[in-house]
Amino acid sequence: MMLAFILLGALAIVGGVITIAARNAVHASLGLVGTLLCVAGLFATLNASFLAATQVIVYAGAVMVLFLFVIMLLNANQPVTSRDPVPYVRELAGIGGTLLAGAFVVLAFTYQDPRPLAEGAGALRGGTALVMGETLLTRFLLPFEAVSILLLVAIVGAVALVQRPAAQPDGVPDELEEDVGAPQERRQVPRPAALSSEGEVRA
Amino acid sequence: MVPTTSYLALSGVLFALGMVGVLTRRTAIMVFLSVELMLNAANLALVAFARSWGDPTGQTAVFIVMTLAAAEVAIGLAIIVAIFRKRETTNVDDLAALKG
Repeated sequence: MMLAFILLGALAIVGGVITIAARNAVHASLGLVGTLLCVAGLFATLNASFLAATQVIVYAGAVMVLFLFVIMLLNANQPVTSRDPVPYVRELAGIGGTLLAGAFVVLAFTYQDPRPLAEGAGALRGGTALVMGETLLTRFLLPFEAVSILLLVAIVGAVALVQRPAAQPDGVPDELEEDVGAPQERRQVPRPAALSSEGEVRA
Repeated sequence: MVPTTSYLALSGVLFALGMVGVLTRRTAIMVFLSVELMLNAANLALVAFARSWGDPTGQTAVFIVMTLAAAEVAIGLAIIVAIFRKRETTNVDDLAALKG
């Protein structure tokens, strides 16, 4: 048990370091996938089997696929080369992060379990979907329903945010409409003013 | 059985790593990835506390946090895509129109 914790914990930290240090965004997100899988393994060692499965399916699966998709869509895997506007930001962040980690570790070792660990682990009954469902549909019924509404709003919001603006009735195309998927017949309409402005955009 | 304190220490280290990422990375997507790391560190601490107290409430809270994180990622990435279409960049230094 201890060996599994040490292995998974070390791998999670390595994945986290890759996430924050890799120059290439794709490598960074793959590092985060590693961390998420290790955290799923740690959930399994903490008697939370349903959460371990959810972590793999929702986080390492759906969320990270979305991230990788957007990184590739925006071609954002190139490192930023311009100079940092804040002087010594890396060094300061490194010092601050080390201090924060140290503070958390010191704080963690002041924690005392309110009851013996084996007793607590037994009370969780393995953290299966049955246990989670009982809690979720009794004590957490209102948050559960609120989350379902939030998910609906998120779906509608995501669609509304990435929707392209509708074509103006006066027919002046903006540069957004021009680069992808503008209908063929609208391009053929001779419009010198629009064409010259388009040339400026392209230049 | 691994003591709760070890899990909490690991969670703290992961959280600090995520914070360093938020402070140093300059692409909006990478800042977002680091925020996900911090969320996971908090989730790990919650699950460790759930075992310590023998109460599945902590695990249920983690389940709800996961759902919220998925919704947040969908909206956040949609915002990043929309900004990229308008400004052709996701560098947070160039997106400082609201500063001050």
